[in-house]
Amino acid sequence: MTTPTTTTTTPTTTTPTPLTAPRPDETPAPTPAAARAVDVVKTYGRGEAAVRALDSASVTIPSGRFTAVMGPSGSGKSTLVHALAGLDHIDSGRILLGNTDLTTLSERERTLLRRERLGFVFQAFNLVPALTAAENIALPLTLAGRRPDPAWRAELVDMLGLGGRLEHRPAQLSGGQQQRVAIGRALVARPDLVFADEPTGNLDSRSGAAVLAFLRDATRSLGQTIVMVTHDPVAAAYADQVVFLSDGRVVDELAAPTAESVLARMARLDAPEGA
Amino acid sequence: MWRLTLANTVAHRSRLALTWLAVALGVAFVAGSLVLTDTSSRLLDQQFRTSAAGVDLTVRTGAAFDSAMGVEVQRDPVPADVADRVADAPGVGQVRRVASGAGQLQVRGQVVAPKGPTLLSSWGEAPFTAYSLRSGRAPRHDEVVLDAATARAQHLSLGDTVTVSATGSRRLRVVGLAGIGDADGLPNSAVVLVDLPTAQALLGLGSGLSSVEVVGADGVSVPDLRSRLATSLGARYAVTSGQDAAAASADAAKESITYLRVVLLALAAAGLVVGAFLIANTFGIVLAQRSRELALLRAAGATGRQVFASVFGEALLVGLAGSLSGTALGVGAAYGLRGLAQGAGLALPDGPLTVTAQTLAISVGAGTLVTLLASLAPARRAATVAPVEAMRASDPAPHAPGRLRLVSGWVLLALAAAGLVAAALLRTVAGVGVGAALLMTALVVLGPVVAPRLAQAVGRPLDRAGVPGQLARASAVRNPRRTAATVTALALGLALISFVTVLGSSAKAITAGGTEAVTADLLVQSSRDEMLGGLSPEVARRVAALPEVEAVSAVRFGHWLDKGTTSALTAVDPATLPRVATVTMTGGRLSALDRGGVVVAEKVARERGLRVGDTLAMTFPRDGEQHLPVVGVMSETTAQALSTSYVLSRATYAAHYTEDVDATVYVALARGVDEARARSALSAAVADFPNAEIRDQAEAAAARAAAVEQVLGLVTVLLGFAVLIALLGITNTLALSIVERTREIGLLRAVGMTRRQLRWMVRAEAVLVAAVAVVVGVVLGLGLAAATLAGLSSGTEVVLNVPVGQLAAVVVVAVVAGLAAGLLPARRAARLDVLTAVTTQ
Repeated sequence: MTTPTTTTTTPTTTTPTPLTAPRPDETPAPTPAAARAVDVVKTYGRGEAAVRALDSASVTIPSGRFTAVMGPSGSGKSTLVHALAGLDHIDSGRILLGNTDLTTLSERERTLLRRERLGFVFQAFNLVPALTAAENIALPLTLAGRRPDPAWRAELVDMLGLGGRLEHRPAQLSGGQQQRVAIGRALVARPDLVFADEPTGNLDSRSGAAVLAFLRDATRSLGQTIVMVTHDPVAAAYADQVVFLSDGRVVDELAAPTAESVLARMARLDAPEGA
Repeated sequence: MWRLTLANTVAHRSRLALTWLAVALGVAFVAGSLVLTDTSSRLLDQQFRTSAAGVDLTVRTGAAFDSAMGVEVQRDPVPADVADRVADAPGVGQVRRVASGAGQLQVRGQVVAPKGPTLLSSWGEAPFTAYSLRSGRAPRHDEVVLDAATARAQHLSLGDTVTVSATGSRRLRVVGLAGIGDADGLPNSAVVLVDLPTAQALLGLGSGLSSVEVVGADGVSVPDLRSRLATSLGARYAVTSGQDAAAASADAAKESITYLRVVLLALAAAGLVVGAFLIANTFGIVLAQRSRELALLRAAGATGRQVFASVFGEALLVGLAGSLSGTALGVGAAYGLRGLAQGAGLALPDGPLTVTAQTLAISVGAGTLVTLLASLAPARRAATVAPVEAMRASDPAPHAPGRLRLVSGWVLLALAAAGLVAAALLRTVAGVGVGAALLMTALVVLGPVVAPRLAQAVGRPLDRAGVPGQLARASAVRNPRRTAATVTALALGLALISFVTVLGSSAKAITAGGTEAVTADLLVQSSRDEMLGGLSPEVARRVAALPEVEAVSAVRFGHWLDKGTTSALTAVDPATLPRVATVTMTGGRLSALDRGGVVVAEKVARERGLRVGDTLAMTFPRDGEQHLPVVGVMSETTAQALSTSYVLSRATYAAHYTEDVDATVYVALARGVDEARARSALSAAVADFPNAEIRDQAEAAAARAAAVEQVLGLVTVLLGFAVLIALLGITNTLALSIVERTREIGLLRAVGMTRRQLRWMVRAEAVLVAAVAVVVGVVLGLGLAAATLAGLSSGTEVVLNVPVGQLAAVVVVAVVAGLAAGLLPARRAARLDVLTAVTTQ
């Protein structure tokens, strides 16, 4: 039997940083951008049936901020985030994570990069059912053949309110608890960037609010960069800024959003279609 | 509903593909076995019919039975004057005086060894025989006609000289080449035709004949002629119709095919049973994946019965499709099986295959039935899916094994264990069979409880390999019923293989051993290893005349009927046997055999309550039932050295048997004679008898073991087939569970599991399942073999011989095969697109 080569990792440019201090940009460049998409084009299908999901979309995700991506169904918001996370190929344009151009990486390099530098929270089916909560949290590290820093893990568990639930399996946890475990997993490797795809989509409003508050706190107190896709204006209001997409392009940005202001912008985006 | 069934089957064809394959493979085995044995029987029938095509009646000396263990009994010669009486009888048209038997052909000093017999016969022409000259002329004194096929294979042409031997031996000139009917020869045989006096001399018949063949005069009714001849010749002679005589000969030759058929069909059944597990599993998994769809059907108003019928219909379609393609495949498989069986030393005739309607019906029927039975439980489960399942967000967790299963499983297991131990102690093989059946049932019932626990234990080392290893173990444990079915199928196959391996190795040890009692330095035996041996008695005489030899004792074998059951006996020379073997008697004396009578083995004496002075009824071929006095009881080691439990003197044998061939000539060398020198002296002395082979004890043991080994090899190869189907089961279950786990795999990939780690995870699961099956299978096989041996051994201690090396090979092969079974699913999993996987519903 062969042993998996979990110990080989691509060198990353991250350096350990104090927990609570905002993370200094890893690059000497003056722009404090965690990730950037430049003129990204992505087409699904061919010929007549071709759909241009991203039509030269460009966006900058500032470091240490909580960014929400919004847009009507089919606006390309999920495609954009998947592209930023290196989960999806793009037809043209560039995706930069710090100084790394994802479009030049091989499949294996992108996998290792996800493991080392990115965190994910999905809408549903976020955890591996066979593993306990603690094992699920540690998953990205154990896949890389490392162990979580005990102090950091303890702090995460404490903040997520998961003490006493660590030995439970996903089936024994509520939806909100499962999603908090997923957030713990996304944060445990101290990634450069956390992607959350409709993280409250399957939760009731109280559990959803707790999850969103936690994501906001992670940015405020830990300086964690987070990108969240949502279609819920209330969820978007937890973010520091909102990026609006329509027909595959970034059409607007909104700083310090509230539910009302987001709703108003959304209404404006929808208007031309409805007229 | 039927249209929905059809649409579903077509839609899920990729998921059902391996089920189809499993059914097809199992059915191919069944069909192949039937086609092969049908074909062989038909070819043998044809062979004997053509050779007796124009004969109305055959006159032979009577015999109590025609054949035993596939060997035709030899009859006393028909005296020449009886043949004359037949020829002069009214109503008889033509007669042919026949001398025929088994012979040997040597070309340029080399023995021609066809897979079947070498037939030596006096020349005859139509209407008596189907022989026809292709070139040259009929044989006269010191001349021979060979079948054209053999002559071609041996590069012989007219004018060449060959040596033909039976009881005697002669050099003969080839004067003609014959065909048999349309064919150039007989399948697997060599045909040697000489004139009548030469045949009589070679076969040691004197002026006697093997048989007299009769063609009735024109206008005479054959049944009338038959009864007239029978009356005038008296009870000592048997008058049979030519076709009946041929059929009896064919039946003797077909006896081994009957055994082969039973063995092949039993192995095919094992393949089908293993396939049934795979089928049940596939349907179970596919239906679990479709439970929401089924619930939707129920919610839309389908009754449970309709859902059941729909699933059952799918099984019917898959079963039929698999059975039909399997039957077609089986015809091809028959060729492969024939090659395998011939490789294992069975003489099967070559020729075009026979496919009967019965074969088609049995194959298609068996395959379809097994598929339907296997789908019964999954279909019932599907029918009980509640309509609300349609609304449920996540798939329901698999049920934990119920209390009923646990209790009944353990009870069955306890019963099985008790039964096996009792059977082993009481020494009844039938009890072992019952225990084995109980054990298999317990295995099936307890599988879902035991398999996951075993997987936990066996998979422990995987944890050290990090998350992929841990996940591999976890997913092997996750669905107990599924893992259990996969494990059980493979374990069953492996249990059978290890059972056969252990049993065979013990049998080999028994056949090879048991000769401690023999003190002879050298043995002369037939290189062809015929059932009754095949040495001319002249061999023993010539060896005895050598100055290098101190003592010689020859033994021969015979079949007799023991209240209708075929049994075997050994004939010895009581005067010389003690000089080549240590004979231990526990009652009576060996020398008492000289007065006629029988010595029986200790075990037989005990079982039948026989003591010296009692009589034993034995039916011999030549003179029917006789009552022989028991004159002695021999120890089991002596019986083992002599190969049978009943011993006569050679003189007594000669009174009851016409056969005149020795099986083994035991040779004790004179003091101070070097073995190598003795060997060359012996070789020179028996040079006229090409089948006489000189062996020391080790070589003789090896020759006996080789026969066991060949059969063992055949059975193992065929069992490998069942294991192959079980391995398909691993591939299938994994592939299907990967479909089920698509989102989980997508998630793992998203959070950074590399493709390599993923592939490793899937393969590790496959190997783990195989390893659990290996543990269960080998333990079961060993246990059953031990119980069977204990059950078989009454009186003597039968030693369990565990072939560690071979079992280790089985283990390694199974685990590596498990790895191979995981390759395809692993590749499939690794190829899943992360994004599609993670967003799949």
